Amino acid sequence: MNLDPNKSPAPQEPEPTTGSAPAPVWLFVLVALLAFWGMGFLDSHGGGFDARVYAPYNSAKEVEDEWPKSGAGAAFARGELVYREVARCILCHQPTGLGSPGQQYPPLAKSEWVLAQEPGRVIRIVLNGLQGPITVTGQQFNSNGMVPWRDTLTDQQIADVLTYIRSEWGNNAPEVKPEQVKAIRDKTAGRPGQWLADELLKVLETE
Amino acid sequence: MNHGPLIFLGVFFALALSWFGLVFESQLQLGNAQPTTNLVNAAQLYPQMRPGQARQGLDVYRSLGCAACHSQQIGQTGRTYDVALTDAGTNRSAVVDTLLKVKPDATAIEAQRLLEKPPATILKDVTRAAADAAVAKFEPTGAKVEVRVIPTGPDIARGWGKRRSVAEDFLFDQPAMLGSQRVGPDLADVGSRLPDANLHSLHLYDPQIVVSKSVMPPYRFLFEKRKIGREPSPDALKLAGKFAPEQGCEIVPTDEARQLVAYLLSLRADTAIFETPMTVARANVSTNAPAATNAPAAQTTNSVAK
Repeated sequence: MNLDPNKSPAPQEPEPTTGSAPAPVWLFVLVALLAFWGMGFLDSHGGGFDARVYAPYNSAKEVEDEWPKSGAGAAFARGELVYREVARCILCHQPTGLGSPGQQYPPLAKSEWVLAQEPGRVIRIVLNGLQGPITVTGQQFNSNGMVPWRDTLTDQQIADVLTYIRSEWGNNAPEVKPEQVKAIRDKTAGRPGQWLADELLKVLETE
Repeated sequence: MNHGPLIFLGVFFALALSWFGLVFESQLQLGNAQPTTNLVNAAQLYPQMRPGQARQGLDVYRSLGCAACHSQQIGQTGRTYDVALTDAGTNRSAVVDTLLKVKPDATAIEAQRLLEKPPATILKDVTRAAADAAVAKFEPTGAKVEVRVIPTGPDIARGWGKRRSVAEDFLFDQPAMLGSQRVGPDLADVGSRLPDANLHSLHLYDPQIVVSKSVMPPYRFLFEKRKIGREPSPDALKLAGKFAPEQGCEIVPTDEARQLVAYLLSLRADTAIFETPMTVARANVSTNAPAATNAPAAQTTNSVAK
């Protein structure tokens, strides 16, 4: 055993170092292919990163196509919103469309005013409001005043809410178009105050 | 050779990438989610904040570890379409003729019968194209026909829900009790499929009262046994047989039990919103009687009407 401190140790092998070898080409190709496939998968299944798209739908457009965008179905739904939330017709005319006879709010369900084939009169009522005595479904009401909606609701909203009340609660009358509302809005532009039922009865339904 | 910086960069980018993908992107997508109104059926905001007692119930649910065995996420794998006749109109013979064309295997008598009680389902489980084609055929007859969207999937087939769960369903929950295991049934829609509070109380007191082979543990400590006073409490559980307490005693729910039941009843995933197209049967608002409850009367008909 060599324990003499004055003697230098025997020469040693140098520390090994790491070498390097080029990564194989097939690995790069594989990673690139995987990345390409991944992108493609995200593109076709990611729903465009839209928060409104869930499986089994693949794009916001596909979800949207499931909902009615035009026609009576959509107008009905928009009209329900006006009835319940925007104009709050529901407060007086009730969710059942029966009105509150005790407080002289007439019904909309089965009402001949609502169900008239041509909506001329009911458009006028919504535009300018109504007051005074009126007969609805054979019952006498003395309306203490429905407010005018001319400045609050658009033609589209009035058409939608009328389409709604004309097909809800078993009612079945054709839908109302915004153009019809616009025509009557222009015709009655200068009219002050609310309608009286007698006055309305003199107006032809088709006018 | 010193590989420190290289390793640092590698780890940094790997973590940064997953942070972007899992956290940042999700935050961008859903971080600003607000209660929405549906474009189509916008009568109400969804979701509504749970009532106070139900919000406390969420904490009870959490503390009891219910989420260990119950998930709150309904999956949906597809959808199918029905065609329904909602109004036969006046030209009945034309409608019957069209009906026989659309549904060749039906007899004339069956067709007549379908017209009598609208809404009647004409076609079941068809493709969108077939449904739209059928609706187009009815257009000239004046009948009102609508396409109904029906979500499908294993969870929905089990009756656990009507549509898939979406992020909005959990908007006001902190934390969202999504759950991952399904030892018991999914609870995402339990409030609408089991709306009876007494049933939930009994089930929590001893699940085997309701489901005889249930493996759920009884949560009797949510209930209090006490002597019947002058009159039995109206809240006392109606127990019979081996579950009944001894004579002169009654079992009443504690606040925690009430809160938990309120929370369970508030778990409803039955509102159709933009993300989840489906047709909900409209509750019959009778036109000659006031609504029985003050619950919002069937806010939804999400049918694709033509």
